[in-house]
Amino acid sequence: MVAASDFVGRDVITVGDFQRDEILFLLDAADRFSAGHGRPLAGRVIATLFFEPSTRTRLSFESAVGRLGGQCIGFAEGAVSSQSKGETLSDTVRVVEGYSDLLLVRHPSEGAARLAAEYADIPVVNCGDGAHQHPTQTFLDLYTIRREVGRLDDLHVVFAGDLRYGRAVHSLVTVLALFRARITLVSPQFLCLPEEQLDALDALGVQFHETETLEEALPEADVLYMTRVQRERFTDPLEYERFKDAYRLDLEVLKHAREKLAILHPLPRVTEISPEVDAHPHAAYFRQAHYGVSVRKALLALLLGCADEVLA
Amino acid sequence: MNPEQSYPVPKLDSGTVIDHLRGRTALRCLQVLRLPEDAQITVGINLRSERLGRKDIIKVGGHELGGEEAAKLALISPDATLSIIRDYEVHSKLDLVPPLRFRGLMRCTNPVCITNTEHVLGGFLVLSNDPVVVRCEYCERSIEAAEFAWE
Repeated sequence: MVAASDFVGRDVITVGDFQRDEILFLLDAADRFSAGHGRPLAGRVIATLFFEPSTRTRLSFESAVGRLGGQCIGFAEGAVSSQSKGETLSDTVRVVEGYSDLLLVRHPSEGAARLAAEYADIPVVNCGDGAHQHPTQTFLDLYTIRREVGRLDDLHVVFAGDLRYGRAVHSLVTVLALFRARITLVSPQFLCLPEEQLDALDALGVQFHETETLEEALPEADVLYMTRVQRERFTDPLEYERFKDAYRLDLEVLKHAREKLAILHPLPRVTEISPEVDAHPHAAYFRQAHYGVSVRKALLALLLGCADEVLA
Repeated sequence: MNPEQSYPVPKLDSGTVIDHLRGRTALRCLQVLRLPEDAQITVGINLRSERLGRKDIIKVGGHELGGEEAAKLALISPDATLSIIRDYEVHSKLDLVPPLRFRGLMRCTNPVCITNTEHVLGGFLVLSNDPVVVRCEYCERSIEAAEFAWE
């Protein structure tokens, strides 16, 4: 039986750090925090150490902290931190943990959040480390699926686009194994899910199928998870040009979908979803971005041991 | 004595014998071990072995290998044996088994892993002993034996 106290003081580095029951507890807590919450973080200071640009993750965390009565300090890019003077991540962490109660870390290097957690005595939340993991995105993705589809178990989830570099995909695809999902992976070969992730799916006994055609995957999907081809992850600009328009979801393609489908996207979107889809009832991606605030409110309050009043 | 079975290597008075190394792994072991410059080293490559078919052997005179060196050897050639020799006798013998996890010894081969930009020791989990596959505890990339970048 999971209790709020199980979360207090924990680091959130990868989704693998959490059991199925703990994830469900967090999603239930997010429901409670979406309704009302008081000011449980009053007097608490949260530091945002963002060495890489972010809009949704940083602003939704800042919104969550503000709505819970806490205060945010920090920086939104490495160039304005002491990193630009050559300071190491571990030194930055050791300094800033003295100013705050919890660290939110985004960094271009994979494993950066794990390293930060080793040096900090306060909780560290991974807000994205290179192409590796983005666990709070996964929690809000699961929350969105549950809100939009009504359940998490036994779903057919289609991932489309850049599955090679998309950390949101890497985090979500393995955690869906906990919910017996059937998975279809749609990408050009160059951008397919890394072999390790495929091996992990095999090891977890997940039923998955790879294809290059979105139309082929769509008819049986309960959830379509679209992703952007990320220019910043390509070392060769020509390769980016080759793949940037690999998929485009428009109303014509959507005709292949069943009547009930939730379209998710971690955003920002570029050309992979046509704006004409935005008004379609299947389009859940803007609601998904908004749900992030409820999930992050619940997570922060749980990690800092301030959730009892709301959850009582 | 059958000439095929005789080892043209002298007996050690003191030091370390690394035996039952898989065939043609001895030179890689020596590269990785970085033994003292004055160590007297005898190497046998592709010697006949009942257990392995072909095996390598390394004798290191005047130097007793420690735990870190044993861990490296186990990651290159699991099931090798390490014997410490004192006064021409085997003082102690160790079967080399890869550790479950270890720090240092090698670097993560993922160029964008944080351990390659910060000055920290890598941490690794051993996923499989034969063939040896490890996983970086930071970026979680799997690394196969042929790719190991030794410290």
